[in-house]
Amino acid sequence: MSLDIVITPEANNGKRISIAGSLDSNTAPELQQSIDTEINNSVSATILDFKDLDFLSSAGLRVIFKAKKLMDSNGGKFLMVNLQPQIKKVFEIIKALDGMNVFKDQEEMDEYLAAMQDKVKEGE
Amino acid sequence: MDKPVPNVQSITLQNKISDSSKLFDFLTQYARTFKIPDETYNDLRLVLEETFVNIASYAYEKDDTQTISVELKSTADEISITFTDTGIAFNPLTKSTSCMETNDHCEGGMGIHIIKSLSDHQEYNRAGQSNVFTVTKHYT
Repeated sequence: MSLDIVITPEANNGKRISIAGSLDSNTAPELQQSIDTEINNSVSATILDFKDLDFLSSAGLRVIFKAKKLMDSNGGKFLMVNLQPQIKKVFEIIKALDGMNVFKDQEEMDEYLAAMQDKVKEGE
Repeated sequence: MDKPVPNVQSITLQNKISDSSKLFDFLTQYARTFKIPDETYNDLRLVLEETFVNIASYAYEKDDTQTISVELKSTADEISITFTDTGIAFNPLTKSTSCMETNDHCEGGMGIHIIKSLSDHQEYNRAGQSNVFTVTKHYT
């Protein structure tokens, strides 16, 4: 029941946090620490990639919601991608998908981000 | 016709959150041995984590090292998990570590909501100096 965290840069000052393994009461503090270290108001978008995450408990949800709040208050975006069905189920149980940007895969997220970029350009 | 014999196994853990990994290993081995369906196993993994963390967090005074025992019992149709501890009177459905101050996701605690959503029946009793909390789940 361990958690692996990999942080990679994304276009336009974004950051991708890829989490693998188990996000539970024991490992949630590690993710919180990564977020505290890596996410500041120069980060335009935080992408949480769940591809290899197979377990999520309420302790993990708390860290995730806190990260979303942080991005909201910084005027940035918070996106979640590649949720496995049992992970998505946890969010659905607490009805927490409303108001979240959730993408089933990278392709769907890329389309969204491209559309966002186009909107920004139109506004310039 | 004879009633089916339940498969009973138990484990004794310490009231520390890190022992949830031992509980996970115990559940995994039980599920393998008694062929618990995958979806039931996945749901139970979460129910056990949420319940155990609540009990370990609240049933005892800080720095008080005590035990929590967990018994798994299953038949052909359902599985029940009984948590027993000797802490203060504490029903894990009343307090959860996952209740956030700003509350859109509280409703008595996300953990509590998860436990209730992923199980069919929950029962708490105070028996002498012990808390006994049982969660039951029917197989899908």
